Amino acid sequence: MQPDPFTASVADRVTDLNERYLNHAAQAVLKRALTDDTVGRIAMVSSFGAESVVLLHMLSVINPATPILFIDTQMLFEETLTYQQEVAAHLGLTDVRTIRATREAVAAHDPDGLLHKSSTDACCDLRKTVPLENALSNFDAWITGRKRFQGKTRATLDFFENEGDTRIKINPLAHWTPDDVQDYIINNRLPRHPLVAKGYPSIGCAPCTSRVAPGEDPRSGRWRDQDKEECGIHFINGKVVRGPILKEEPMNIIVTDQGFGQDDWTLAYTTPDELADNSDAPALAIDLASDADPAVLAGKLDGIDMIRIDFPSFADGRGFTLARRLRLMGFNGRLRAKGHVIADQYAMARRSGFEEVEITPELAERQPWDQWKARATWQDHDYQNRLRGAV
Amino acid sequence: MYKYSDFDEKFVRERVAQFRGQVERRIDGSLTEDEFKPLRLMNGLYLQLHAYMLRVAVPYGTLSSRQMRQLAYIAQKWDKGYGHFTTRQNIQYNWPKLNDVPDMLSALADVEMHAIQTSGNTIRNVTSDQFAGAAEDEIEDPRPYAELIRQWSTDHPEFQFLPRKFKIAITGSPNDRAVVKAHDIGLRMARNDAGETGFEVIVGGGLGRTPMEGKVVREFLPKADLLPYLEAIVSVYNLLGRRDNKYKARIKITVHENGLETIRDLVEQEFTVRRAAFSGIDQEMLAEIKPAFPKPTYIQAPTDAFTTAYDADPVFRSWVDTNTVAHQNGDYAIATISLKKHGATPGDATDAQMREMADLAEAYSHDELRVSHEQNIVLPHVHKSHLPAIHARLVAADLATANVGLVSDIIACPGMDYCALATARSIPVAQEIATRFDELKLEHEIGALKIKISGCINACGHHHVGHIGILGLDRAGVENYQITLGGDGTETFAIGQRAGPGFSDTEIVPAIERLILAYLDLRENSDETFLSAYRRLGADPFKAALYPDAEKGRKHAA
Repeated sequence: MQPDPFTASVADRVTDLNERYLNHAAQAVLKRALTDDTVGRIAMVSSFGAESVVLLHMLSVINPATPILFIDTQMLFEETLTYQQEVAAHLGLTDVRTIRATREAVAAHDPDGLLHKSSTDACCDLRKTVPLENALSNFDAWITGRKRFQGKTRATLDFFENEGDTRIKINPLAHWTPDDVQDYIINNRLPRHPLVAKGYPSIGCAPCTSRVAPGEDPRSGRWRDQDKEECGIHFINGKVVRGPILKEEPMNIIVTDQGFGQDDWTLAYTTPDELADNSDAPALAIDLASDADPAVLAGKLDGIDMIRIDFPSFADGRGFTLARRLRLMGFNGRLRAKGHVIADQYAMARRSGFEEVEITPELAERQPWDQWKARATWQDHDYQNRLRGAV
Repeated sequence: MYKYSDFDEKFVRERVAQFRGQVERRIDGSLTEDEFKPLRLMNGLYLQLHAYMLRVAVPYGTLSSRQMRQLAYIAQKWDKGYGHFTTRQNIQYNWPKLNDVPDMLSALADVEMHAIQTSGNTIRNVTSDQFAGAAEDEIEDPRPYAELIRQWSTDHPEFQFLPRKFKIAITGSPNDRAVVKAHDIGLRMARNDAGETGFEVIVGGGLGRTPMEGKVVREFLPKADLLPYLEAIVSVYNLLGRRDNKYKARIKITVHENGLETIRDLVEQEFTVRRAAFSGIDQEMLAEIKPAFPKPTYIQAPTDAFTTAYDADPVFRSWVDTNTVAHQNGDYAIATISLKKHGATPGDATDAQMREMADLAEAYSHDELRVSHEQNIVLPHVHKSHLPAIHARLVAADLATANVGLVSDIIACPGMDYCALATARSIPVAQEIATRFDELKLEHEIGALKIKISGCINACGHHHVGHIGILGLDRAGVENYQITLGGDGTETFAIGQRAGPGFSDTEIVPAIERLILAYLDLRENSDETFLSAYRRLGADPFKAALYPDAEKGRKHAA
């Protein structure tokens, strides 16, 4: 029996909803959230950021008159404000409500607009968390675009969450991967936030959002160089999370034919761009991105002792060709693959010219040495080497 | 037939063991689902609409009777008693269980077969002319080169995680039966001014949602340069191909966006480096492969029995006229067994039919069979005196449909009946068209006509190169079929042009009927094929037949 919407606790309703929608797709969850009596009065909260258009589009198909709360922190990029107007018009959304901090509150706490420099938490609180809390007080439930892949704090996200026993929070995209988001945007020909093409895969306020290099975590551009992952609107175990969450920086593991080992390379890495400036360094080590053109190192290879090629994803095979090309160009130094390389790729890495692979402790734990060892006999069964023969 | 070397044998066994381990590691959590997916794909295992699907390679389309019997055994033991032959010379099993797959791969290895690189973003099974080694027009048998490419591309360490899948086709004949211009790389054997044979190398062709005709990147490539040249192309693509959007990741888009000249410069530059890394051993290995594809030891026998039967039996005559073509040896014929019985699923064969075809090959075709990209089975070397016996046995096995190259010899993808990507059904449309023209008894009157049907924009049914192409789409939850006209997958390659608005599932078969009846009225004589008439007259009279109401409206307005 379903809980009575008027008498059952938020916790009971959330448990029931999660059970009922356990195996449903995002659209089904959203559709039922908008029509299910046990959910109650509902709004969507949207930043009109890099991926927001997905949920907004789903919502527009089901009911474009659903209230949408857009928080204007008055610190947003100009592009976000323009994009908000375009998307609302494109999708025919009829009830976008812009939420701002009161003029009095801003005057009292951040008169010159520099609070973010002294305390990002206080700034988020003033401009985002408090106005949203106020706006949500009229609703029984709200919809967010949060996804599990977005970080450790979101890794166990459910479709329905109990927020402080007062409201239900709905995350229809909880199980989506970055590819799902991109496929949806492409397939439905949705307008993209103009900053995405300029290197901002996750977009917040202008002072606290920076560009992200290819291969970096998409959210690493948010509050860069701070131990902050969430703005404070989001809760962990029902509580607002504030202040720094301590992050450990465990040592990576180096995989060679002999086994797992510690990293014995202690010198700093430079990028090809910085190479000219460091020509006097004792041992040159280069970090090469997966989208690098190996030709930039032509003529400079003799002075380089170590090249470390990034693998942002195990599915991105550019690093194998980069390694092979560097070897064919005559590079004889240490060649290391770093990042998401899985045990099943070890033989490919070695045959392409890598000597070693640098992996995270997490991956090393999930795929211990015996799984790499199974591919450490990489000289065997090698068609290509057989066809090329010794030159 | 090529026999596995010890090296091949050990490689395939090792690969089966690796996959067995990967399945176990997926179950124990060592591999995430994301990580397991490309590993199962590069071993031929897809997750389809209802279940897993295992796609098995038939390298360059050549099978022995022993291998065909093993395919039948696998269909019977681990599937529902049938298999589906595909447009890329593969066979697919639609109902395997994940835990059975390593045993199925092991059973394949027992007969020197595998499912390696039949899926995934890697170099796929190399396809070739189904008449290779038998065709009258052939410059040279392309299969030794295809085998060389198979070995080179297998487990190539650089190319297992490409931006997208990569398909190579090779033909040894000027008449292109391998659709080389619709492949990522197409190789067409050619002669240079000095009379030497080599390859014309075509790059960046493809069908799918953005159909493109391949472009010639090298007019004449000496045969000894084949592997380093291929390696240069794929390495350029691996670095340059787009990875941000899977719909723009194929090499056809890379060539389109960067321009053929830029790609050619990069490839030629890389080729110089790659060429130097080959010592020449590959050519010695090629020389060892070649004798594995000998000419058959031809039978010397009279063909009177054939002539007598041909003159006496109209059903046999019809089958011979439609389903056989000239062989290099005048006493021989190449016989195609149609897997397109009117009303059946194109490309499907039961285990009993596979066994019967294997027996026929053993008795009458020098133990060889071929799988064609048109989803039929070929007996490549048949002495004409055996044709009456073959035909009689095919009739008994329900395999004697005389429709090769005709209106009911339709290529169709699995469509919404099996495929998770499909947006419309394609098999039922193929079945209805075939049944309709069988009822009208017009099939032989219509003559050569290729209809190809895809159930979604990904174009697995090759509709872009059908003389008549049908593309099934989903328009607001309703199936809608668009028609393209004038496509051609041969040496006179053309991509079909869209005729106009689509048709519903109840309108599509009548529309095709109107179109073909119009052709019968329009043609100059019975020798002018649909495609020739279309090329002579242009699209307008055919569009008028498809959209009679629109035509009336126009006349009223005038």
